[in-house]
Amino acid sequence: MSERVIVGMSGGVDSSLAAALLVEQGYDVLGVYMRNWTADLPGFECPWAQDLADAERVAVALGIDLEVWDYEEQYKREVVDYLLDCYKHGITPNPDVMCNEKIKFGTFADAAFDYGADFIATGHYARAVPGTPRLFRAKDEHKDQTYFLWRVPGSILARTLFPIGEIENKAIVREMAADRGFETASKKDSTGICFIGDISIRQFLLAELKPEAGDIVEWETGKVLGHHDGAFLYTLGQRKGLDLGGGPARYVVKTDAENNVVYVSADRNCPLLWTNELHLADARWVAGNAPSSADYLVRTRHTRKLEEAHISAGDTMAGVTFSVPHETVARGQSVTIYQGDECLGGGIVESCR
Amino acid sequence: MNAKEDMQDIYLDYAAATPVDPRVLEAMLPFFTDQFENPSAPYARARKAKQTLEGARASLAHAIGAKPASITFTAGATEANNLAFAAVEGPVLIDAIEHDSIRAVATSREHGIVPVETDGRVSAESLANAITPETELVSIALANGEIGTVQPIAELSRVVSTEREQRLSEGNTTPIYLHTDASQAPCTLSVNVSSLGVDLMTLSAAKISGPKQVGLLWAREGIALAPLVRGGGQEHGLRSGTENVAGVVGFAKAMELAEADRKNESKRLRALRNLMQARLTSAFPDAVVSGPRKDSQRLDTLLHISFPGVEARRLVIALDQRGVSVGTGSACAASKMRISPVLTAIGLDENTANGSLRITLGHASTQDEVEQACNIIEDVVAREYERVEKRGGRA
Repeated sequence: MSERVIVGMSGGVDSSLAAALLVEQGYDVLGVYMRNWTADLPGFECPWAQDLADAERVAVALGIDLEVWDYEEQYKREVVDYLLDCYKHGITPNPDVMCNEKIKFGTFADAAFDYGADFIATGHYARAVPGTPRLFRAKDEHKDQTYFLWRVPGSILARTLFPIGEIENKAIVREMAADRGFETASKKDSTGICFIGDISIRQFLLAELKPEAGDIVEWETGKVLGHHDGAFLYTLGQRKGLDLGGGPARYVVKTDAENNVVYVSADRNCPLLWTNELHLADARWVAGNAPSSADYLVRTRHTRKLEEAHISAGDTMAGVTFSVPHETVARGQSVTIYQGDECLGGGIVESCR
Repeated sequence: MNAKEDMQDIYLDYAAATPVDPRVLEAMLPFFTDQFENPSAPYARARKAKQTLEGARASLAHAIGAKPASITFTAGATEANNLAFAAVEGPVLIDAIEHDSIRAVATSREHGIVPVETDGRVSAESLANAITPETELVSIALANGEIGTVQPIAELSRVVSTEREQRLSEGNTTPIYLHTDASQAPCTLSVNVSSLGVDLMTLSAAKISGPKQVGLLWAREGIALAPLVRGGGQEHGLRSGTENVAGVVGFAKAMELAEADRKNESKRLRALRNLMQARLTSAFPDAVVSGPRKDSQRLDTLLHISFPGVEARRLVIALDQRGVSVGTGSACAASKMRISPVLTAIGLDENTANGSLRITLGHASTQDEVEQACNIIEDVVAREYERVEKRGGRA
């Protein structure tokens, strides 16, 4: 009897190929399309029906079943409400981190194992080793998604397959999908946040949170330079979208959600933009226990390169010390910690110093 | 699916869309470039366009046995159906297997729904029971596009006439009209308004090898239509917007060809449809064919067949991957994740309804194509049953 894998299929190229590889490796595969909550506001279009149809075409070609599991309610509660609550309080969250922890490797994984799956699988760019509570970066360093997976418990990772994480790069993924006749081979990568489709997070926040006019103030002088529709729309370090009508480029150096004020500076060297030390709260360690304090590699943004830093780790918190000043990281953002290829865990930025 | 050399290209979804006949296209072409004028303009060239428009109207009127002035051109059947319902303000009555463009309009206002028999037919008795003294419009499609039921419209029109006479004798001045959406009919059925005995009728060019977004509403003299699209007052003020001369020329040509070919085509396509039905039901004895048994009560071009226990959504994909295009029902229902209300109305259980294919033939269908399609459908359905069985053993 072959081992049973339940693979999350989104209709995209990565999970399509993941499902195909599992079938080819001889697993007994069931595809599941996870239906998440989608914004239903005028002009918002989330193409989930099209995505489901794409997943279905692949499932039929592979001769596997595809079921639709409905996580609309959980997703709304665990991801969307969390995101809105964070923004309301001037915190910039990573909704994908929450989605992975709570939905894909939470509710979905539990349901899959209850359903008799030996493993779950997804199209993520990451690597795991069956039977061990460990997480490794994908072979494709450029696409690596461990930055979004650090909160997944090791016990789940031990029963997770990431077939795509073993492939050199995305071009090869597309080629392999095309070789198998999948129309999803040339589908464009999803960008932005899945539940609002192509709409920007700014438009979504404006629709969901109460816009309230406030001042944009120059940090050094206290001079009011312009106005905004809500401090929740701005993130530390942001340069675009300030709409101050000319003048030098300015950076958001601080947002005050309580008083609805956004502080900016034209000075790239403004002390608020730089930090030597990040304090991480709500830390999680893949193996279950904190690593010993030492120098490790960290990532402070999905698309940012790995950097060296000294980590002093506790069970639920961590301090990150850089040897040279580092750009500040907004409150609520994830920082992931690596030893070589292995992702040890991470935390959520609470403050910078 | 990788056997590209075996790839067929067989279209069997004519109830959803038809290719424009080359003769229709040829008739239309001059009106895009040489004779492009606005029929309402005051100069001689424009008067010619106006004549062309009226010539098309007269030709279509002739085809349905009506007066040209009683035809209003619209952008397709959906709009014509909406226009028909706008003619009355009181309660309307439709049957339970109407197309979305009728159902959506009716259910947005005070309405009743006449149940249908298990073959989709509306009986005179159930219609008579459903009509109330306030009913102002009854709308029943001549031929259903999903299961192919041809309604006994002439008989049903007598029910409406009886009600009308009854109201007259009682001094009830509430009008009652019978509307029929005949969009799926003209290639194989007569659409003569007098023999049908209807008061309003919708037709579409798109279903008869004409252009899309071209349709008409015929209304008997004396029925006051109310415009939905206002503007420059074209179409006697009932449908504003510069007339689609090329479109209606194509419509008239398509109707002319449908009329001329009707007798031969209905016989030919009926034979092909029956061949397909015989092959598929003998290959799969559990398959369920919906719609009336009698050929005379069915659309000759349509086969609605259900394979209980398999998912039609998968069959459609697998057939597509083998080069055969078929529908699962009305195109609108296929895009949503719900069982077609038509199948619920005829009492098909969920398991059977989920395995339903709607296969429709058209002018370009050949016996060779139908036989090849049967081979592929038999293979795909058999494989799917096999897969389901294997999966059943595992779970």
